[in-house]
Amino acid sequence: MLLDFDKLGAWKWALSAICAVMALFLLLPILFIVALSFGSSRWLIFPPPGWTLKWYEELFADPRWIGAALTSAKIGVIVMVFSVALGLLASLALVRGTFRGRAVLRAFFLTPMVLPVVIVAVALYAAFLRLGLNGTLPGFVIAHLIVALPFAIITISGALETFDPSIEDAAILCGASPWEARLRVTLPGIRHGLFSAAIFSFLISWDEVVLAIFMASPSLQTLPVKVWTTLRQDLTPVIAAASTLLVALTVILMIVAALIRKGKSE
Amino acid sequence: MTTPFLHINGIRKTYGDVVATDHVELSIAEGEFMTFLGPSGSGKSTTLYILAGFQDPTAGDIKLRGQSILRTPSHKRNIGMVFQRYTLFPHLSVGENVAFPLRVRRMGQAEVAAKVKRALSLVRLDGFEDRMPAKMSGGQQQRVALARALVYDPPVLLMDEPLSALDKKLREEIQFEIRRIHQETGVTILYVTHDQEEALRLSDRIAIFNRGKIEQVGTGPELYANPATHFVADFIGDSAFLSGRLATLQGGRAAIRFEGGQQIVDVPLHGAGQEGQAADLMLRPERMELTPEAGPAGASLPVTVQDITFLGNCTSVAARTDWGDALTVRLNFGHPLAGRVARGDRLNVRWSPEAAHAFVRS
Ligand SMILES: Nc1ncnc2c1ncn2[C@@H]1O[C@H](COP(=O)(O)OP(=O)(O)OP(=O)(O)O)[C@@H](O)[C@H]1O
Ligand SMILES: [Mg+2]
Repeated sequence: MLLDFDKLGAWKWALSAICAVMALFLLLPILFIVALSFGSSRWLIFPPPGWTLKWYEELFADPRWIGAALTSAKIGVIVMVFSVALGLLASLALVRGTFRGRAVLRAFFLTPMVLPVVIVAVALYAAFLRLGLNGTLPGFVIAHLIVALPFAIITISGALETFDPSIEDAAILCGASPWEARLRVTLPGIRHGLFSAAIFSFLISWDEVVLAIFMASPSLQTLPVKVWTTLRQDLTPVIAAASTLLVALTVILMIVAALIRKGKSE
Repeated sequence: MTTPFLHINGIRKTYGDVVATDHVELSIAEGEFMTFLGPSGSGKSTTLYILAGFQDPTAGDIKLRGQSILRTPSHKRNIGMVFQRYTLFPHLSVGENVAFPLRVRRMGQAEVAAKVKRALSLVRLDGFEDRMPAKMSGGQQQRVALARALVYDPPVLLMDEPLSALDKKLREEIQFEIRRIHQETGVTILYVTHDQEEALRLSDRIAIFNRGKIEQVGTGPELYANPATHFVADFIGDSAFLSGRLATLQGGRAAIRFEGGQQIVDVPLHGAGQEGQAADLMLRPERMELTPEAGPAGASLPVTVQDITFLGNCTSVAARTDWGDALTVRLNFGHPLAGRVARGDRLNVRWSPEAAHAFVRS
């Protein structure tokens, strides 16, 4: 390698220190929130004067918080299913297809990634106003699918590109019809990519707040929206507890995704 | 004439302006081991893929037992194939890989187990059922692929350079296995390679491909003794080619004159030509001999020694004719000249009559 870490001498320590500072900088606010969620003070004082679980009790006793969490989970799961299914079909066409204009189509599929989310949100809001989809579950799902799908396509296309099409050909000569070959050989062959796409699609929906604020109605809102609206009314540590749970699930799923990637490379 | 078992009938395939194969015509007998031999890009794989149904020919037909198979989709052709790349299904064990063709045919559990066992035993991998493909060597993986391609008793087995990713020693070992399996099963095999030694070792007959066309079909000895074209002569065996011009022509035999006036007479001529046309004299290396004294006029040439290499069982002597063409002669270990020949020596090369062929230069 051009830059060998072990041969950097004194720079090695400098680099390590910079990395540590960066990590702290990124992690501190989250650690702060987690600490506050267990703190006994009502006023989000740091460091907390004592420790308690009462904010969590309050959180779980409030049907509005539970409802928001369930809504988030429900939307996340539906987005995940559609994102993986559509991402798989799109990837099959983009990677295995031979039609003209594949590169253009691919770029088109990925545009939501580079467009500012607010613009997507405003556009969707205007469109959904006519369709009557604002504040509905399908509205949420479609909005989140738009931002989740590019990630699913990138992940699944990547897996498909490294899967040798000759393996599929071999299955076909063995007597499997082209769709049977894809189902029984290609899909299991790219399952790591499918799992990663599923986890990321879920997380994108689970954490998403901008689109969700536009889509939300008083009766239907996701956890991040609930955190946001509560924050504007009342600075209670219950928000810290809800945020901690939100982050906890994200971290767990990220670890699962990392483990899948590690399992694949072994 | 009886209908051939497998008939490749005037297959032509073009990709835009590229002609991949051009009027490939070949009849293969049941149980025959037929090898497609040729340089890269000569259309061997294309012909095989058309047989497998992965490509449609632009023109021509393929008949198995007199029936065209072009309308049958790949998965219903019941043809076996081993690919150049490793194509075992990575998520299935060796046993399940071999069982796969039987499972898609909805065969009963007991029969599947028995057939898988027999197929693995055929490729000498008994007891490997539970191993995962990633935990096997390249040679083992190709043997599993062979078992998978044979387990459903296909009438034809296609092999596209299955050993090209393996090292030489392993390659020879598996070539030997393939020969044995061909004899034991009697399956008709179409084998693609660009390694002439592999082709000669394995095949009943060899089809020499060049630029999308078959130049010649025959057994190894036939091709070696009687190459029809310059290309075939060059591709099989390490021959020397000396460039000259046709001097006289008579009844398929010719005399060739070289620069400087030396003339070689009475060699069989391949291809149509006229007096004065450019032609090559081909000499097979094992039929040439070096002598200090001049040989018979018209069947020997003086040469100058350029380089000497000791190769163990023989000594290779690189020499040049007076007009600059190179040729290599081997001296067996213990040959009286072997220890004495030196760079710059003037010697004579002579050959037995059947070792020389003339080819009109196209
Ligand atoms: N899909 C394709 N599109 C365009 N040209 C192709 C395609 N497949 C093959 N060709 C061309 O057809 C010709 C024959 O190719 P083919 O793969 O049959 O050669 P081959 O004899 O198998 O060579 P190799 O020993 O390199 O495998 C080549 O010139 C190749 O570039
Ligand atoms: Mg090829």
